[in-house]
Amino acid sequence: MFAISSWLQGVLEWLRSLFFHKEMELSLIGLQNAGKSSLVNVLTTGSFHEDMIPTVGFNMRKVTKGAVTIKMWDLGGQPRFRSLWERYCRGVQAIVYVVDAADAAAVEAAARELHSLLERPSLDGIPLLVLGNKNDLPGALTTQQLIERMDLGKLSGRELAVYSISCKNSTNIDITLQWLTAHAKKS
Amino acid sequence: MAATAQDSTAPLRMGPEKKDEDQDEYETEYSPFYGIEKGAVLQEARIFHDPNLDPRRCSQARSAARARRAAQQRRTPTDRAALRPLPQWERPITRPPAAPTRRPQVITKLLYLLNQGETFTKQQQQQQQEQQQQLTAMAAAGGTKEASEVFFAATKLFQARDPHLRRMVYLCIKDICPGSDEVIIVTSSLMKDMNSTVDLYRANAVRVLCQIVDSQLLAQIERYLKQAVVDKSPVVAASVLCSAVHLMAHNTDIIKRWVNEVQEAAQSKHPMVQFHAVALLHALRATDRLAVSKLVTQLTKASIKSPLAQCLLVRYVAQVIADSQPGPSGEARPFYDFLESCLRHKGELVIFEAARAICNLRDVSARELAPAITVLQLFLSSSKPVLRFAALRTLNRVAMTHPMAVTNCNIDMEGLIGDSNRSIATLAITTLLKTGNEGSVDKLLKQIGGFMGEITDDFKVVVVEAIRALAVKFPGKQRALMAFLAGALREEGGFEYKKAIVASILQLIQIPDSKEAGLAHLCEFIEDCEFTFLSCQVRDRATLHLAQLSGDLGGPAALLSAAARRPDPGALEARLKAYLAEGEGEEEFDLESVPEAPSTPARAAGARGAAAGAMLPGTTGFGGGGGAPAARGAGGAAAPAAVAAAFNAAQAEAEAALKAVPEFAAYGPMFKACPPARLTEEDTEYAITAVKHVLGGRLVVRFDCANTVPEQVLQNVTVALDLSGAEGFVEEACIPLPQMPLNATGHCWSVLRLAGGPGAMPSGKLGAVLRFTVKEIDPGTGEAEEEGYDDEYQLEDLDVSAADYVKPRALANFRSAWEELPAETEREDDYGLGPREGLQETAEAVVGILGMQPCEGTEAVPPNARSHAVLLSGSFPGDRPALVRLLLGMDAGGSVAMKVVSRAVDEGLSEAVHAIIQEA
Repeated sequence: MFAISSWLQGVLEWLRSLFFHKEMELSLIGLQNAGKSSLVNVLTTGSFHEDMIPTVGFNMRKVTKGAVTIKMWDLGGQPRFRSLWERYCRGVQAIVYVVDAADAAAVEAAARELHSLLERPSLDGIPLLVLGNKNDLPGALTTQQLIERMDLGKLSGRELAVYSISCKNSTNIDITLQWLTAHAKKS
Repeated sequence: MAATAQDSTAPLRMGPEKKDEDQDEYETEYSPFYGIEKGAVLQEARIFHDPNLDPRRCSQARSAARARRAAQQRRTPTDRAALRPLPQWERPITRPPAAPTRRPQVITKLLYLLNQGETFTKQQQQQQQEQQQQLTAMAAAGGTKEASEVFFAATKLFQARDPHLRRMVYLCIKDICPGSDEVIIVTSSLMKDMNSTVDLYRANAVRVLCQIVDSQLLAQIERYLKQAVVDKSPVVAASVLCSAVHLMAHNTDIIKRWVNEVQEAAQSKHPMVQFHAVALLHALRATDRLAVSKLVTQLTKASIKSPLAQCLLVRYVAQVIADSQPGPSGEARPFYDFLESCLRHKGELVIFEAARAICNLRDVSARELAPAITVLQLFLSSSKPVLRFAALRTLNRVAMTHPMAVTNCNIDMEGLIGDSNRSIATLAITTLLKTGNEGSVDKLLKQIGGFMGEITDDFKVVVVEAIRALAVKFPGKQRALMAFLAGALREEGGFEYKKAIVASILQLIQIPDSKEAGLAHLCEFIEDCEFTFLSCQVRDRATLHLAQLSGDLGGPAALLSAAARRPDPGALEARLKAYLAEGEGEEEFDLESVPEAPSTPARAAGARGAAAGAMLPGTTGFGGGGGAPAARGAGGAAAPAAVAAAFNAAQAEAEAALKAVPEFAAYGPMFKACPPARLTEEDTEYAITAVKHVLGGRLVVRFDCANTVPEQVLQNVTVALDLSGAEGFVEEACIPLPQMPLNATGHCWSVLRLAGGPGAMPSGKLGAVLRFTVKEIDPGTGEAEEEGYDDEYQLEDLDVSAADYVKPRALANFRSAWEELPAETEREDDYGLGPREGLQETAEAVVGILGMQPCEGTEAVPPNARSHAVLLSGSFPGDRPALVRLLLGMDAGGSVAMKVVSRAVDEGLSEAVHAIIQEA
């Protein structure tokens, strides 16, 4: 009986996904070695790899969670690609900025890049999600510290959320996903 | 190579085929893209940014696209031009949702534009304004490059899974390819696709990736590429091999590591893989002649199945044969049997390639040629126009050297005169002109005249060349041929075409009977020729010929007087010009009215010979410029003789001038006269050239002076030489020119004694100043004023080098002469000459510098030779001989190294030879 009802629920879910399907497009940016490609892997396959090669250029990944299809532009974080971020952030539903919270030295550069990017008028009003990655490592900054160090309070005129996550331990990946699906637009 | 190669397999066809289609459509004017504008397409390209793929509205868009295409096809080109302001549907405000079907079309449009020669400019200048009006959202993009704009838009399409779209994206990226700092953005995506499970993605990603990688990145992905060479999917393997051929240019070392894999791929069953592998194997060895020879031997034994690969092999074989030194006559050529066996191949492509290779063999014999001609004859009756054309073109080439071999095909070719394809018909006629007999000339000319107006200039040039050859062959037919050429000269035509006609007529003029008619045609042409360069050349030539002509017409007495008169060429030209401009031809041109060049009776005797000598290089030079490689080849053997004759003529002329001055009689016979050297720039007030003579321990310099300023008279002209810059010269005498003539030349002389006696060879730069007394001409009376003043005019330095003392000396047996000279005088030195065109050019240059006589025919470098020895013989004042062995070698990069070994009667002379080379 229970099996049937759960099956029915599955069918309902599928039916609903047909009619209430949503999709979103987001850009994943941040300095090199912040964990952007790892986050994509965790979101799509749920697995984490220690040895990742640096992204040269960008990777495009699609993942479907429930009724939402998320298209992710995973952009390279090396300095030569930073000027190109803006092109891939135009018109997306959300910008996800990944910061290596355990690398205190890099936070300042990360903040600088973020602020200069968001000054562009083409990116006005796009919601921003800042993720402090690698909170499994000792000395990782907390959410609050991140807000202060990166001067995130200055960013106005857009929706902003800051989470502390770990791709390695899949910590807070669920709430990240929740935030993302909430910002998907109906198509 | 890739484009032609890809026709035989379906999966590989996508890229080039798409483009070809566009071009075909363009030609037939059915192209749906006809008249599209760059701005409009660039705006359309913005739909790439639209992330939305709505399946429900997809079909609408598709039908809309279809309707649009149909509508566009109905429009005539002029209608379309009227519609240029963007049609409604292209306005981005009301743009339909992006659908996969539409994007490829936009990309196709972009590629179409690129293939039409449109470029995506750096700054969007014209578009900027309208863009800002229409697209405020995109205003920020206004100042960026079009190419990067389109490129980044296209990269957004990596999100789509549609395979057709993805193919087009690859193509788009490859063709647009913005700056290297931007294109790198797709690297990661391409690397992902390179390891995809879809063969098509892998193959195309490899192609694009190889196009954009730098050597650093290549080292990273080399592993994948090397594996892909032996991939079981032929599409992937062919892509890698093809890309590797392009990568060779900058990353030879990396590609060389793949040799084993490439060898394996060369055994592939798939024709395309085999083709590309063979090409790559050859490219890897291309710089090493021995290795190429080995490879070819190996491949001719292995069975090559792919017809295209076989064609390549035939070409490589032909190259190896061309590179090999010709064996003694009668010996079979290496690989000839292979070429002959290819004539029996199944594929027409291979048969033709082999036949062509045989026809192009150097010094091919009639027996070797026969099987190839038979095969080509069969092709002539083929139903495929391309085969007929190819065969005919090859036969046409053969007919130039072996007309007899082609006569068998005459009947087949006569049938092709009426071919609906004009190119085939033209070639058929020109070939027949070469092989036909005298009787058929009139008939053929008539047929050619019928369609001259319908063919392109290129073919007209071919026809004219054929007629020229015919004129040489059948002088009896020159009247008909001249009439034909004259008619052609009056028609419209491009520069090359007219040049070919003029060159042909100039050659026809050499036949005595047609001289007058030909000159008349040329004179007519001078008046209405639209090409300044050509009309100048015609004028110069015609003037010379006319001078000759008037001499010939006047009988023996006139001939003598014409020879004695020796009119000044510049003045003659001016008179002729005036004569042609005003006269209607009623009055005869009066040669007597031309001011006479200052001449001495002694000179007249040598004048005819000198004039003939001067004519010879002039006419052959023009003929060569007119494009007659065959004539040049035939004349190659005669050239040194002509040059020697010209040298002797120049010497004789100089000696005659020298003998006219009694003061020099005491110095004894002249040893050598150097070629004239200008001491003034062109178009200055005075034209001064210097001719140095070596005789009797002295350097006698003749200065040819001409005044070009009519308002003054120059008297008592001398050239003062400043000897402080060079040692070993003592000024002995100076003979002034009483008055410098206007627009004609007079001589003044300087005699320098060589301090070291007859054997001394001092050299250096001598400063030269022209000194004279100027008298103004009174414009009222036209008489020179009584009072004059002294003035001087700075000339360029007079160079005296050791080469000036060397005279070519003919020698029958170099070896014995070499042995006779003392071995201890031998001096040897190496010189690096850097990159040069070829050994022949280098040898000519060095021989020119040394001024010595090449012996035993060693001045001709065999074709494709990598090293060569030239034997030179010369003599120094006092008839002291010096011999030089010149060894030239060229490395793979085209750099030439030279070793010079010299022997002479004494060590000083031997060193003087090296001094000449070091100075140059």
